[in-house]
Amino acid sequence: MAVLNRMDWYDLARTTNWTPTYVTEDELFPPLMSGNFGLPQNAWEKYDEPYKQTYPEYVKVQRDKDAGAYSVKAALERSRIFENADPGWKSVMKAHYGAIARGEYAAASAEARMMRFSKAPGMRNMSTLGCLDEVRHGQMQLYFPHEHVSKDRQMDWAFKAYDTNEWGMIAARHFFDDIMMTRDAISVSIMLTFSFETGFTNMQFLGLAADAAEAGDHTFANLISSIQTDESRHAQIGGPALKVLIENGQKAEAQKRVDIAVWGAWKLFSVLTGPIMDYYTPLEHRKQSFKEFMEEWIVAQFERALTDMGLDLPWYWDIFLKDIAETHHGMHMGSYFWRPTVWWNPAAGVTPDERAWLEEKYPGWNDTWGQCWDVIIDNVVDGNMAMAYPETLPYVCNMCQLPILGTPGKKWNVKDYPLEYNGRLYHFGSEVDRWCFEQEPERYAGHLSIVDRFLAGMIQPMDLGGALAYMNLAPGECGDDAHNYAWAEVYRALRATKKAS
Amino acid sequence: MSETQVLKPLKTWSHLAARRRKPSEYEIVSANLHYNDKRPDSPYELSPTMFMNEWYKKNTFGTALKHADWNAFRDPEEVVYRTYNMMQDGQETYVFSLFDQFNQREHDTALDPRWAGTLARFYTPSRYLFHTIQMASAYVGQVSPASTITNCHYFQMADSFRWLSHTAYRTKELSLAFADKGFASDERIYWETDPVWQGFRELMEKTLTVWDWGEAIIVLNLIAKPAIDEAVLRKLGESARHNGDTLLGLLTDAQLIDAARHRRWLATFIKMALETPGNLELIQGWIAKWEPLADKAIDAYCAHLPDVAGGAGAAKAATRDFRHSLGL
Repeated sequence: MAVLNRMDWYDLARTTNWTPTYVTEDELFPPLMSGNFGLPQNAWEKYDEPYKQTYPEYVKVQRDKDAGAYSVKAALERSRIFENADPGWKSVMKAHYGAIARGEYAAASAEARMMRFSKAPGMRNMSTLGCLDEVRHGQMQLYFPHEHVSKDRQMDWAFKAYDTNEWGMIAARHFFDDIMMTRDAISVSIMLTFSFETGFTNMQFLGLAADAAEAGDHTFANLISSIQTDESRHAQIGGPALKVLIENGQKAEAQKRVDIAVWGAWKLFSVLTGPIMDYYTPLEHRKQSFKEFMEEWIVAQFERALTDMGLDLPWYWDIFLKDIAETHHGMHMGSYFWRPTVWWNPAAGVTPDERAWLEEKYPGWNDTWGQCWDVIIDNVVDGNMAMAYPETLPYVCNMCQLPILGTPGKKWNVKDYPLEYNGRLYHFGSEVDRWCFEQEPERYAGHLSIVDRFLAGMIQPMDLGGALAYMNLAPGECGDDAHNYAWAEVYRALRATKKAS
Repeated sequence: MSETQVLKPLKTWSHLAARRRKPSEYEIVSANLHYNDKRPDSPYELSPTMFMNEWYKKNTFGTALKHADWNAFRDPEEVVYRTYNMMQDGQETYVFSLFDQFNQREHDTALDPRWAGTLARFYTPSRYLFHTIQMASAYVGQVSPASTITNCHYFQMADSFRWLSHTAYRTKELSLAFADKGFASDERIYWETDPVWQGFRELMEKTLTVWDWGEAIIVLNLIAKPAIDEAVLRKLGESARHNGDTLLGLLTDAQLIDAARHRRWLATFIKMALETPGNLELIQGWIAKWEPLADKAIDAYCAHLPDVAGGAGAAKAATRDFRHSLGL
C-alpha cells in the first residue's frame, strides 16, 4: 500500500492535549466554558468518538452530498412544485425554514465552543467537522427557500424569523439559547448533540422527509434527508462525553442536563412539528401520526439510547408519555386561533374526514379538542369572523415560553404551576417546566416572557395590533387560514343537508 | 390594520432588498446570520446577567475595536460551504497523490537519518501548533460580531485541522521508516520542553486566552498566524528542500495556499477596520504588545533550523512586510 489506512494515523491526529505552563489549565479551559465537572485533561483523553472521520474523507463525502442535493434542486427549479403544492404543505416549509435555518447556523457556534473548550481531543476534532456541518445546514436551508421569496412574502421569514420577537421565535430562541448557545462545551455535547439531535432531529428530518416525498416535494425531501446524514454523525459527539462523566461519578449532573434538554425539545416539537404532521400535511400524504412518530423515534429509540448509556429515563417520563397524545392538539388550536401572530398560514385540518382520522389516531379527540373546534367552525360557517380571531395574547409559560394549556372537555385540566423566586412570581405550564427552571433559576429569572413584556407596557398599544407590530408581523406576512376557509364549505353543505331533511 | 399597506414579495431577503442589486449566493447564505446583536442588554434569550450574556456583552460587543457595521464585511473570495469542500477536496486529492507517489518511490528511506532527526524535532511536533490555530480560530469565529467574519474563521479552523492531519499522516509514515527517532511518541515532549518550540507554545497559550474579540482577531491573524506561516511553513519548507525532502517542501507549499487565502480576507477586514478613527492606533498598540512574543518564537524556532541562513531575520521581516502591506 502506497497510502496509509485511516486508522494508521487517526489516533495521532487526536493526540493533541498538552500541559500548558505559560497559562494555567483553568485559564486555557475556563471551567464555565469548558464544563466544570472537576475533571482534569487526562480524564477526558479517554473520550472515544464512535463515528470516526478524517479531514480528507470529510471534504470528499460532503462535496458529493452537496452535489446530490443541489443537483436535485437545480433539476426541479422549473417544476412549479411550490406553486402547485397544497397550501398546507407550503405552511410546513415556511414554519420549518423560519424556525430551523438560522438556528442550525447558530449551532455552528455551539460546535465551535466544543472545539475550543472541550478537554477531550477527539471531541475537538469531531466538533470541527460538526461546526462545518452546521454551516452547511444553515446555508442550504437559506439557499433553498430563497428560490421562493419572490413568490410569497412569508418566505422572507426563512431568514427573518430569528431577528423578531414573534412569540414562537422567542420560544425557539429561549430553548436553543439555553441548550446550545450559553452552555459549556460538555453540556452542549449532552444537551444539543445527545439529547436534541439523537433524540429529536431524526424525527423532524426523517419524519418530514417522508411527508415531503409523499407530497411530491422532492427537493425538500432530498435536502432534509441529506442534512440528517450529517446529524447522525455529529449527534454522536455527546455519547462518549456522557460515558466519561458517568465513569467519573458525574451521572446525576449528566442526567439533569439530559432531562432539561429533552423536555425543552419536546415542548418545541409540540408546537412546531405536531401541528405540521397531524394538521398541515394533507391527509392523503400523512405517513404516521405525530404520536406514532414520537413513539417510534423518541420513546423506542431514545429510551434505548439512554439506557445503553447507563442513564435513567427522565423522572417525568410518565407525564411525557401522556402528553405526546395531547399537548400538540392544544398548540395547534392555539396557533390556528392566533394565526395572525405566525408567519405561515396554519391549515385548520378539521374537515369531517380529517376529524375521523384524528379520532382514530387519538380516541376521544372529538369529545375534547373537537368541541372547541365546533365553536370555531360554527363561527366560520356563520361568517362570524370577528369571533374566529383573537383579541389579545394567551398566557405563556416562563420556561418554555409557549401557551399554558390543558385538554378541553369534561376533564378540563388546565393548571398553572406558579413559583415565587426572589420576589417575582413566575408561571409555568407544567410541573416539569417549573422543575427545569428551578435547576438553575439564575439562567432564566431575569428573562421576560412576551406576556411579561406586554404587562410591563413594553408592547404598545396594548392590543393585538401593538403585539403584531412588536412581533415584526405586518399584513402580507401575518398568517391566516391556509385554504382561505374553503374547508368550511363541507360544513355548510352538511348544514344545508341537515336543514333540508 | 385595513389601512395599512399589504407587504408584497421581494426579490431577495428583506435585509438585502434595500440595495437594489441582485445578491450573490454567498450573500444570501452568509450575511447577517447572527441574531445575538438584536438586544444589547441580552444577546441570548435568557437572563441578561447570566454568564454567557455577560461574556458576549463584554468580549464581542464591548471590545474597543469598533465599526458601525461589521455585518458589511464580505469575504473577497465569497467562500461558502459547498465551494469550500470542492476546493479542499481538490487540494487533498493533490496532497494525497503526493503522499502516494513519494511513498511508492520510497522517499523516506532515501532521507538522511540526520534529517529524519531534524523532522522529529522541527516538523512532527507541529501538530500541536496547528491544533492551537484550530482552537483559536474556533474561538474568534464564535465571538465574531458578523457571520461573514465568523465563517472565515470556521474555514480557517478546518484548514488548521487539515494541516494537523497532514502532520499526523507523515508522522506515522516517518515512524515506519525510522524506528529510532521517536516519531509518533515524542512529539508532546518536544512541544512541551524543547527550546525550539517554547516560543510558539508561549505565544499560542497566551493567544488562546485572549477573550476580547477585537484583540483576539488581531493577535491570532496579524501576529501568530503570520509568524507560523513564515517560520513553520515557509522556512521549514526551504530547509526541507535543502535537505532532499522534496515532499515536505511541496506539502508546506500546498498549505501556504490556505494561508494566502486567509491573508486575503484578513486584508479586507483590516481595510474595513481602519475606516473607524482610532482603530489604527488601537491595532498598532496590539501589534506593539504582541510582536515581541512572535519574534521570540520565530527566533527560537529558526535559530537551529538547518540550512536556512538568516531564516529568523527573513521570517520576521516577512511578517512585518505583510502588516505594512495592510497599512499598519
